[in-house]
Amino acid sequence: MFSELKILFLKSSQIPDLQIEELFRRYFPLPSAIEFIDYELVGSGIWNACDVVICDFTAHNPTDEEYFSLLVTKYRPSSFVIFTHDGSVSRVPPGLSVILYTATTDELLSIMPEILPSLASKVELSLRHDKITLERQLSDHVLNNSRSMLSVINRDYVYERVNEKFCSHQGKSCSHFTGKSLGEVWGEDIFRDSIRPRIDECFGGKTVRYEASFFTPSGGKRSFDIIFRPFHSAGGIVTHLLAESFDITEKNAAEASFMKLQDELTKLEENIPVGYIRCLLNGDILHMNKACMEILSLDDKASISRLNLRDFYSDATLFGVHVELLLTEATRKLGRVLLRSARSEERVCSITGFINASISGEPRHIDFAIEDMTREIFLESRLMQAQRLETVGALAGGIAHDFNNILTTIYGYAEMSAEDLDKGSPLGENMAKIIMAVRKAQSLTNQILTFSRQIEQEKVFVNLWQVLNETVSLISSGIPHNIYLKDTSADTGLQVLADPTQLFRVFLNLLTNSMQAMENGGGTLTIDSYSSAGELLKASLSLDIFADSYIVVTISDTGHGMDESLLNRIFEPFFTTREIGKGTGLGLSVVHGIVTEMGGEITVDSRVGEGTSFNIYLPAVRDPVADSEEMYNSRRLLYISGNKYESKVLSLALENAGYNMVYATTGKDILKIINKRESRPDLILFPDDLDDFSFIDLASVMRKSDVPIPLILITDSQDLILRENSLISEFARHFLLKPVSLKEVSSAIEIALSTNN
Amino acid sequence: MSVILLVDDHENVREMLKTSLLRNKYTVLEASNGKEAIARFKPSVVDLVITDILMPEEDGLKAIMKIKELKPDIKIIAISGGGKAGPNNYLCLAKALGADHTLTKPFSVNELMARIKELIG
Repeated sequence: MFSELKILFLKSSQIPDLQIEELFRRYFPLPSAIEFIDYELVGSGIWNACDVVICDFTAHNPTDEEYFSLLVTKYRPSSFVIFTHDGSVSRVPPGLSVILYTATTDELLSIMPEILPSLASKVELSLRHDKITLERQLSDHVLNNSRSMLSVINRDYVYERVNEKFCSHQGKSCSHFTGKSLGEVWGEDIFRDSIRPRIDECFGGKTVRYEASFFTPSGGKRSFDIIFRPFHSAGGIVTHLLAESFDITEKNAAEASFMKLQDELTKLEENIPVGYIRCLLNGDILHMNKACMEILSLDDKASISRLNLRDFYSDATLFGVHVELLLTEATRKLGRVLLRSARSEERVCSITGFINASISGEPRHIDFAIEDMTREIFLESRLMQAQRLETVGALAGGIAHDFNNILTTIYGYAEMSAEDLDKGSPLGENMAKIIMAVRKAQSLTNQILTFSRQIEQEKVFVNLWQVLNETVSLISSGIPHNIYLKDTSADTGLQVLADPTQLFRVFLNLLTNSMQAMENGGGTLTIDSYSSAGELLKASLSLDIFADSYIVVTISDTGHGMDESLLNRIFEPFFTTREIGKGTGLGLSVVHGIVTEMGGEITVDSRVGEGTSFNIYLPAVRDPVADSEEMYNSRRLLYISGNKYESKVLSLALENAGYNMVYATTGKDILKIINKRESRPDLILFPDDLDDFSFIDLASVMRKSDVPIPLILITDSQDLILRENSLISEFARHFLLKPVSLKEVSSAIEIALSTNN
Repeated sequence: MSVILLVDDHENVREMLKTSLLRNKYTVLEASNGKEAIARFKPSVVDLVITDILMPEEDGLKAIMKIKELKPDIKIIAISGGGKAGPNNYLCLAKALGADHTLTKPFSVNELMARIKELIG
């Protein structure tokens, strides 16, 4: 058990060292090394520590308490052996273990052979005891400084040891638990149902691990990671188990918060309208969000990892260039890039890239933000088109003005010259021709002024389909036989606010164009008109401000169609595809001007060889005359009620009977509705079924308003009627006792409303 | 003999109208803008005013207003050739301010003469 024992021999007599050494060698059974020092020279000596201090105080007996303290501090021995001549030692510090022998200096040598063996056993015992104590202290130290709750449980389900954490968690001292059974500590039911099965499993030799939550006096309900480890004693039998419970409440909370955050980030990423894609430097796609999948027309999230971003670039080499750019500058706006979707549709997208580097600076992957620019580009081109037209329009408008003045001059002189000529003079005809030419020129300048929106339109409510129909009948006689006319309009009552003449001009122009497109091969001319909600049209129109609903007129033909370059210029003034002399090229620009001035929009779709379709969108209107009639007939009732079934039935019945119902449940809302003239009701109905708003509350609201409005109170409380009689007669025109029939209520309403007038 | 004040900033138009007016035996006073028109207008002398609307310095509408103030029973014919808002707009305003008749350029001088005859004989 021990290597060499270190023995310090304090001498106070003249016994030679060698003799003592000899005695020890012969009679002391344990391996030892002895150092001798004079008892007066305690501080000297080469050792810093020893196992045993033997004091020969036969000749001198120190009386100093400090002497022993010094010895203990310097040498920290396990045992003290003291020889004194009278068997007494003074001033020994308490707690110090001392083996005392009585002997004189002369007797010392002679008793040594006898006592040394027994001394050896005593020392051995003491040393062992010390070692065990030290080990015990260390293990206690380890146990008590553990962050887990630790306990040792024996096969009788009794706590043999518990650490401090265990006790502090329970809020009791450790002595409370040691020796108690698990059932006593946790409750027999809990022990039997949830703890014991697991413990038994552990006693079977298995390490059992599980998570459980339980209430602790110190911290409330906490979650624990619990492990039972079997302890095998000699012989391999499981005699105890070590139970460890580690508080994972915070860890669980952190995990939960992390999951929540992750969830939110994922949701955010999924829902943002900007496409996000992450890929490796070679283009292999790691991840993309929903918006990006839409842009690239991908449906299957699972197949994404097999794709490469390079394949979605219309120009694959450009991808390499972009990666190079990103490597030099970590974030970069790559500008507008032409991408090709999974369905081979080309889309212009605005791309920004960001290189994600690892800690060491090595680029790991690239994040891209992708935005579909299709709409923006569409709006940009529309804007440019509009600006072009605007410029030309302003220019033309200015010219037209000057033109009109010049024409006035020509007109005037022509008229005067015609007067001066003799009747029947041939020159008279020439003058007439000059005048006709002036008129024609005037009509031309008017067209110019129209497309540049400088002619005021006189607008009235017109039935659009009627105007359309009239235009069709006008041209029907001139329709060639190889053209078939079809009208698929569903609703013939749609109204717009427009100048009928201008509208007529628009339709005439488009119909003529369509017929001209089918001159050679014939075909079908289809006319359609319908109404559509403004919301639905947002994508196809470039308007900034939308009306609630639009009337859409479509005029389509199956003629030769137009290619994209023509389509872009079709509304330009003076642009014509016809030969010189055949048409001024103003027709469609005039149409565009008229439609735009009406707050609408005109668009065109066309496919070469298949046909062309013009779509006109005009803001729909409601005939104000009809509106005002409606309002006149309807009386507004303010219904103050909760959601109780009977009240709901009554309100629905009143609605069906044609009353204009308004609902409110708070004093503030009621006051607001009463005080505003537009919303002021003709009558107030109070079925008295709100928990937090009584008739008294209503009365105080009515008092605050300076407008007297007839009120009908419907209640089931006779008590209320008796109690608040004066209040009721002041504010209510009528009161009814529940249950009431619809008839009773209707007549009461009618009476109240008629007497009001 | 009736005196007519003719106001227009276009020299050619003014000259042509003057010729026509003189042929019909009217005395003509000329002005090339609203400011001149107001200066030239003598209530006791002028019987009728023909004025364009869009002119530099001061426009025809201002002139009509001022002239009406000076002689409430003056006869006015407003003419216009266009401009940003279109001839109709201005002519409506002219009527509102007191013009008895309006004509849009290019108009027939015969019609103009007929209107003048209606108003002052």
